[in-house]
Amino acid sequence: MNSHRTTTASAVLVGAGLMKSYGLTRALAGVDVSVSAGESLAIMGPSGSGKSTLLHCLAGIEGPDAGQVLLGGERVDQLGEPHRSELRRTRFGFVFQSGQLLPELPADENVALPLMLGGISRRQAVQKAREWFPPLGLAGMEERRPGQLSGGQAQRVAIARALVGSPQVIFADEPTGALDQITGMEVIDLLVTTTRRQGTALVVVTHDEDVARWCDRTVRVRDGRLSEEARTPDGAAGTNAVAHAARGTAGRPTGHDTDARYDR
Amino acid sequence: MRAPNPRTALDRTTWTLTWRLTRAGGRTGLLATSLSVAAAAISTALLLLCVAVNLGFQQRADRIDWRTPVKSAAPVAVEAVGTTFSGGTPVTVVDVAQLPGRKAPAPPGMPRFPEQGEVWVSPALADLFHRLPADRQPVPGTVAGTLGRAAVAHPGELVAVVGHRPTAAAVTTPREADPRRPGDIVTPTRVADFTGQRSTDGIGDGYVALAKIATILVVVPLLVLGASSARLSVSRRDQRLAALRLIGATPGRIAGMTAAEAALTGAAGALLGTLGYGLLLPATVQVSVAGGSWYAADLWVGLPVLLAVLAGVVAMVVVSALVGLRQVVVGPLGVARRSKPPRMSFLRALAFVAVIVGYSLFTQEHKSDVNGPLVFFALVFLALSVIGPWVVGVLGRIICALAQKPAALLAGRRLLDDPKSGWRTVSGLTLAGFVAGFFALFGISGASPWGHPDTLAVAVPKARVAVVQQDARHRLEHAGITAVVGTSTDWVAAGGEGTVQVVATVPGGTEKLDRARTALTSLVAGQYPITGTDINWSGRLFSDDFSNATRLVLGITFVTAIASAGITAAASVLDRRRTYGLLRLAGTPLRTLDAARRKETLLPVAVLAGGAALTGIFAAAPLTLGEGSSIETGGLVLLALCFGVGVAGLLAAGALSRPLLRSVTEQSGPRPE
Repeated sequence: MNSHRTTTASAVLVGAGLMKSYGLTRALAGVDVSVSAGESLAIMGPSGSGKSTLLHCLAGIEGPDAGQVLLGGERVDQLGEPHRSELRRTRFGFVFQSGQLLPELPADENVALPLMLGGISRRQAVQKAREWFPPLGLAGMEERRPGQLSGGQAQRVAIARALVGSPQVIFADEPTGALDQITGMEVIDLLVTTTRRQGTALVVVTHDEDVARWCDRTVRVRDGRLSEEARTPDGAAGTNAVAHAARGTAGRPTGHDTDARYDR
Repeated sequence: MRAPNPRTALDRTTWTLTWRLTRAGGRTGLLATSLSVAAAAISTALLLLCVAVNLGFQQRADRIDWRTPVKSAAPVAVEAVGTTFSGGTPVTVVDVAQLPGRKAPAPPGMPRFPEQGEVWVSPALADLFHRLPADRQPVPGTVAGTLGRAAVAHPGELVAVVGHRPTAAAVTTPREADPRRPGDIVTPTRVADFTGQRSTDGIGDGYVALAKIATILVVVPLLVLGASSARLSVSRRDQRLAALRLIGATPGRIAGMTAAEAALTGAAGALLGTLGYGLLLPATVQVSVAGGSWYAADLWVGLPVLLAVLAGVVAMVVVSALVGLRQVVVGPLGVARRSKPPRMSFLRALAFVAVIVGYSLFTQEHKSDVNGPLVFFALVFLALSVIGPWVVGVLGRIICALAQKPAALLAGRRLLDDPKSGWRTVSGLTLAGFVAGFFALFGISGASPWGHPDTLAVAVPKARVAVVQQDARHRLEHAGITAVVGTSTDWVAAGGEGTVQVVATVPGGTEKLDRARTALTSLVAGQYPITGTDINWSGRLFSDDFSNATRLVLGITFVTAIASAGITAAASVLDRRRTYGLLRLAGTPLRTLDAARRKETLLPVAVLAGGAALTGIFAAAPLTLGEGSSIETGGLVLLALCFGVGVAGLLAAGALSRPLLRSVTEQSGPRPE
C-alpha cells in the first residue's frame, strides 16, 4: 500500500475505499485505486469481478455506497446526477466498445458534439474537431458517416471525440472488444500514446492481456477487491510515464508476435 | 434474401420460440405487446363501427324502397306519398287504395292491406298520437294498427299508411313533385306490388357518400397506427432476433417468428376490438343520424363481414411487422449498415403536383359526381404519403444547414438520414391535418331561402284561390286560431304552372302552427300545408349530421394520429436505446436528447400538417363550393383548434416517452447486452 500512497500524491483521479453492492451481491468491497496525468491504467478481471462497477464509480456513472472519488483533489462522488453528467462531459472522455457514434452524423460532427454541448459555436467546434483527424490517421474521413467507416476507424473517431474537449481522464471500456486482434492493437496503441502525449490519464477496462500490456500499470479485480497491483510484465518503470514514453513506438512491451504483424 | 421456406417458417418450433420470447419479454416487452394489442383492438372496433354505419345506411335505404313506387302495366293498387310535419319533424304519409276487383298484397310491415279509413302508424308516430291532443294530430283518422320494422327506416321515424277508396281524392288527384324535396311527394302511382325502387335523388345518397368519406378518413390513420405499433414490437425484439439469426436461424424462421407474434398480438387485439365493438354497439345505436337512432340489427355487421374485418386486421398487423423486420433479416449483425442517406427523389414532388392538377381538372368537369372526387380524394391522401418523406428530407437539409445548437443539428441530421422514419412519426398528424383542412371550410348551409317559418302555404289553381282562402279562414276560425290568410308570390308549396300560393301566417310558435296545420290538412287534396322551413328539413338535418360527423371524424383521426406519434416516439427510443445510453454515459444531458426529439417531430409537423391542411381545403373546394354551401368562419376556428390540439398532443406523446428514454438510457450498460 506504500507505493499506492506515493502515487496518490500526484494522482489526478483517486478512488479510496470504494464499496458498492447490488442487493446481496457485493461488487466492490473496499477498493483503492489512483491514476496520474499522462498515465495509463488497465483494470483487468474476469466477468462479474466488479471491474465495470469500478469504472462506473470512478467515472461518476454510479455513486459508490461508501468511499471517496477525488478528481484533482476534489470529491466528486457525492455530486447529483446533473453535476456528474456535466463532469463526465467536461472533464472525462469515454471510449466504449462500439455503437457510441451517432449513425446519422458525419464523423467530424460526431467529434464536435461534446464541444457544441459545451456551448462552442458549430463552426468552431467542427474546425477544432477536424484538427484531430490527421494525427489519428483519419485524414479524409471527416465527412464520412459511421456506417461508412471500418470498426477501427470508428473507434479512432470515438477516441477523437473523447479527446476533443481536453479532458483530464479518459475511460475506455473494452475499447478493442469489437475489433480483430490487429486493429485492436492499433487502436490501443493510438489511445495510449495520444493520451500520454496530451498528459491525459487513461483508465482501460479490459479482459485482454494483450491490451493491458500497453498500459503503464495493471490492477486486477477479483470478487470486488484489487487482488494484485502488478507492474506491466516487463516494465522496469511502469509508473514512470515519461520513461515509458521514451521507448516510443520502437520496443513494444510484450505481445511480440502480434507486433510483427501490425508494426509499420 | 431467399424466399422463406414456408415449412420451416411457421412450424412448431417457430410458434414455441415465439411464445417463449413474447412471454419472456419483460416489462418493456409487455408494454410493447400491450400497445400492439391495443392498437389492433382500437383499429378493429373503429373499423367495425365504420362498416356497421355504412351497412346500416344501406339497410335503412332498403326498408324505404317501397315508398318510391314503380308504375306497373298490371296494377293492383294505387300508392301516393306526401310529407307533413309535426313539431318540425317530417311525417311521411303513404296513401294506398286497392283497385276494384284486384287483390293487393300487404304493404311492408303490415299483416294485411289496410281497410278504407284505417290509419297504420310507426311506433314513434303512435307515441305521438298518444301524446298530442286531437287538434294537433298530424294525420286525420283513427289508428288501426302499428307498422312493423320492415316499413320504417329507423325507430324514431314518423310514418303513416292510410287506406282509401280507389276513388278517393287522396289517391286520384295528381301531386306536383318538388325538386327541392326529393322523396317527399310522390303522385298517385298504380303499382303491382310494394317492392318499390331505390330513390335516386334522395338524401340517402348524401349520407352514403358521407359514410364513405368518413370511413376513408378514419381507416387511413388507423393503418398508420397499426403499422407503428407493429414496428414497435419489431424494434423491441430486433436484437434478440438478430441474436437468433447469429446462431443460425434462417431468415425464414425469423420471418415466421415475427409473423407468428404479429398474428398472435393481432388476433388478440382483433378479438378485444370485437368485444369493444359489441360494448360500443348499444351506445352507437342511440346516436341519432339522418333523423333518428338505429335499430341494433342494422348496426350488426353480420358474421361474414366480422370475420373479414378480423382477418384484414390480422393481415395488416402481420404485413406491417414483416416490413419492419426487413432490417433484421438482412444480416445476422442486425441493423443493416447505412452508408449514405437515401436521397428522396424529386419525382415524389412531381407525382404530388400531378395528382393535385389532375384532381382539379377532373372536379372541374365532374362537379356533381360524388364518386369521382372520392377516388381522387383517396389519391390525394396517397399523394401526401408520397410527398411526405421528400418534404421531410428537404426540411432536414435546411435544418442541418442552419443548425447552431446540438439539438437542432441532431434533429436535422436525423431527418436527413432517414426521411421515411421521420415521416412515419408525423404522417398521422399530417393526414389528420388534411382531414381538418378538408372539413374546415366545408359548411353546408342549413338556412332555407324560401318563405317564412310561420307561414303555411298550399298551391292552388288560380280559379279556386278565393274558395280555398274562404275555406281556410273558416277552418282556422273553427279551430280558434288567429291567422292572416292571403296569397303570396314566394315559392313554398309546389303547384306547377297556373297555381297561386294561398298562405296563412300563424304567429305564436310551433304548437299553434301545428294546430293550424292540422286544421288545414286536406284543404287541398293531396297537399299538406308547409312552411318555408319545412322545405329544407333534409338539408338542415344533413347539415347538422355533417358537422357532427366532422367533429367525430376529426376527433378520431387526431386521437389516432397522436397515439401513433406516441407509439412511434417510443419505438424510436427503443431503436436507439444503445446510442442514447452511451451518449448519456458520456455526459450528454437528457435535455438535449429530448430537445432534439421534439424538434425532429414538431418542425415537420408544422410544415407538413400545415401544407396538408391547405391541400385539404383545396381538395374539398370543388365538393363544397357548389350551390347550397358556404364558407364558414367557424371552420377556421375548428382548424385552429385542431392545430392546437395536435401540437399539444404531440408534445404530450413525446413527453410520455421521456420516462422510457430515461429508463433505457439508465439501464443500458456501456456494453451491448
